[in-house]
Amino acid sequence: MQTELFQKDKTNKLSSTRVGGKMTADYWENIFTAKERGKHVVWYNGAAMNPLFQAAGLEWCHGEAFAARLAAQHLEEPAQAAGAEYGYIGELCSYARTHLGCAVLTQQSRTESETGVVGLLDQKELAAKLPAPDFFVNGYAGCSTGQQWDAMTYRVFDRKLPVFNVSLPMLWGNKPDAGYMRGEEWVEVSDYAEGQLRELITFLEHQTGRPFDWDVLSESMSFIKRASELRLEAMQLCTHAPTPATYWDWVASIAPINFLPGNQALVDYFAGVKAEIEQRLRDGVSAVKDERYRVYFDGIMNWNKLGFLTRKFAEYDVSVVAGRYTHESFWQEPQLIDVDNPLRGMAQHYLLCPLNHGLKNLQELLLRRLDEYAIDGIAFHSTRTCRAMTNPQTMLAKTAERERGVKSFFFEGDVADASFYNDELFDSRLEAMLEAIDVQRTKSLV
Amino acid sequence: MSELHAPSMAMLQTVADDPVTYANNWKTAHQRPVVGSFPMNFPVELVHAAGALPVIIQESRTPITEGRSLLAEFYCGYTRSVADQAAIGELDVFDAFAAADHCVQLLGAVDAIRYTRPEKPVHFAQFTSAMDDAWTKPRVDGRIAELRSQIETVTGTAVETDTLSASIKAFNRNRQLLRHFYELRRSGRARITASEMQLLVKSSMVMDIDQHTAALQTILAELPVHDEAPDDVVRLHISGHFCHAPRPEILDVIEESGAIVVDDDLYTGFRYISTDVPESQDPLAALSSWYLERNVKAPCPTRVTSEVDWDTYLLDSIAASGASGVLVLMAKFCEPHMLYYPELRKALESHGIPSLLIETEHEGIPVEKLRTQMETFVERIRRHVTTVAV
Repeated sequence: MQTELFQKDKTNKLSSTRVGGKMTADYWENIFTAKERGKHVVWYNGAAMNPLFQAAGLEWCHGEAFAARLAAQHLEEPAQAAGAEYGYIGELCSYARTHLGCAVLTQQSRTESETGVVGLLDQKELAAKLPAPDFFVNGYAGCSTGQQWDAMTYRVFDRKLPVFNVSLPMLWGNKPDAGYMRGEEWVEVSDYAEGQLRELITFLEHQTGRPFDWDVLSESMSFIKRASELRLEAMQLCTHAPTPATYWDWVASIAPINFLPGNQALVDYFAGVKAEIEQRLRDGVSAVKDERYRVYFDGIMNWNKLGFLTRKFAEYDVSVVAGRYTHESFWQEPQLIDVDNPLRGMAQHYLLCPLNHGLKNLQELLLRRLDEYAIDGIAFHSTRTCRAMTNPQTMLAKTAERERGVKSFFFEGDVADASFYNDELFDSRLEAMLEAIDVQRTKSLV
Repeated sequence: MSELHAPSMAMLQTVADDPVTYANNWKTAHQRPVVGSFPMNFPVELVHAAGALPVIIQESRTPITEGRSLLAEFYCGYTRSVADQAAIGELDVFDAFAAADHCVQLLGAVDAIRYTRPEKPVHFAQFTSAMDDAWTKPRVDGRIAELRSQIETVTGTAVETDTLSASIKAFNRNRQLLRHFYELRRSGRARITASEMQLLVKSSMVMDIDQHTAALQTILAELPVHDEAPDDVVRLHISGHFCHAPRPEILDVIEESGAIVVDDDLYTGFRYISTDVPESQDPLAALSSWYLERNVKAPCPTRVTSEVDWDTYLLDSIAASGASGVLVLMAKFCEPHMLYYPELRKALESHGIPSLLIETEHEGIPVEKLRTQMETFVERIRRHVTTVAV
């Protein structure tokens, strides 16, 4: 007899995010036919360099995004099996492992089509549907594995395709004046990153044989800037308690802001999200039926468990209202973008990846969000194969407790490998944190 | 029975086993600062030229306790050990810390030092890891200049050009001597075990370089060189294991299983000493040339390049040493190694070279299990004598 996982569904997800889901599905379906349409395809990882690709007339495949999509749809296994057979060990970043598995499958299918030998590969398998790249671009902030991953993808494709690396220095905080978007280091690395984007544009012109279209870049970035402003305004509305939308809604909105083309549809999408949240506030509708706790999520998303965790937290009357992954990423400082000359603002956003800060900046950002969203507790997703996200977590937990008295708990999982998730530990640790919050509240009444 | 000069080896063993005590004693004797640095590309000459003792922080054999509350258990043994050493005060002898390598796990450990010891200067001179770009060397030049300035601040001593040139010469001399030991081992005419070779290299990372060079010269002068190499043993190359030294007991089991190690590309091995700093250039510029050249001499998967690759280098090394098998030692959770391993495996398989992968952990691995694996591996090689045609 199967027991019910959840006694009651207390979630109330935004309906407007379904539009984003459709936009994302259409985007991938379009990508799958890129070769048939005679398009140049770039595979890239890390920063959201898609506006540059859009202006260069390319089709673009973001490795992590595709790995996340496979995991969210529970279709990651064929790619991971192909990766494992090729020799990648299970403790390797599961984004990389999944995407490299896709590369192995794509390379196999390309070889089969060239030789006429038909293997066991089923073209209907989503993992095998990525179009082969014409070249690679890597711009990975914070995580050293990210750059090495594309170096290996290059090797899976027999070392024949061009690779361009944008090297994004860590915002480490060597100098006393260093901090979030300030200090001498910030200016210096912004110059360095912007210079490399100019080199990248030259590379793209060489690869495509066409001049880069600066007007398209400006137009694309103007849409992205507006979409980002709407997204941040909508997020700001969620400081209201009970919150009208949760972290999970923002997770559902990552794909549009992270890699979909900069166009009017993107602006309309976030306008729709914001409008729905405003309506909820007017109607007194909350995202979780009985919000009693407001929690911040630190860690990269556990894509296999997206729906599951949404319901799980809500069942405990927890609204997960904000998170490092959603709120410190994805064009989150739109004032930096000068649409007439967007490269510097783009470079600065690439540097502002939440993996790319030393502890000092992350402490500053966390405390700001705890205050802004009136956070009661923090859920730390100890992401098994993502050391870039887990690096500062224990120290951030201690900082939150010391500076704001905010409790936290850790649970194990992974970005794209469901086998690392442990449900029993999750329940007991979440319950312990909520009890600690209750005790705190009781004491404050005395 | 070791053929290396016993008193010198005993002295090096004492230092390598407890670099912190050595650093403490050095500091007391010289009244100068001690600067801790990290693998795998830090230019220690800069610290030496400021009159301080450069020490590459080593993994400690101490079980990890307080470090567990700083870094998760799915980090490599080295980074967890560094965090733990910082937390329990084992690194308090160091006046400052500096890193040049961008490894995500290493930076977690270095941030743990900043968190637990906020009063200590911790500098990150990030050397760009994409090696093929025209803007990489100027960037590294800038980081080296910044590092020099930080070291001058910490030590209170200006790094003069002449002094830096002298430091470069001193470290080059030391590397050249160590490479000579490697040549003798490759030839088979000198009996130097894998754990002895590791000791020679590891001690050079943590002690006064002139004192170390003097010890090497004594050991070399006393080293018996035989007319013939033994012909009844399986010759192995050990590959991998970045950042920290594999446990000596692991290396000993290899040679107890009927094989001898004739070459390696370990970090605490040939990778560390592969490249000299050019002596004909401006010394600061020479340090960044050295950084780029190291990756050509011994390509490293922590760097990104299309110009060279580790697998070709490995095959060339095997051809040069006459090794008939490769033991891959991988520090568990080491992502650069996990990423590159399939390419190595493919290259070795395509050339018919037997290989065995062993993952190591800070907590150790069961030696008897390893012994069985090694004996089987050696037997497999004996049955399948490979002609390496690279």
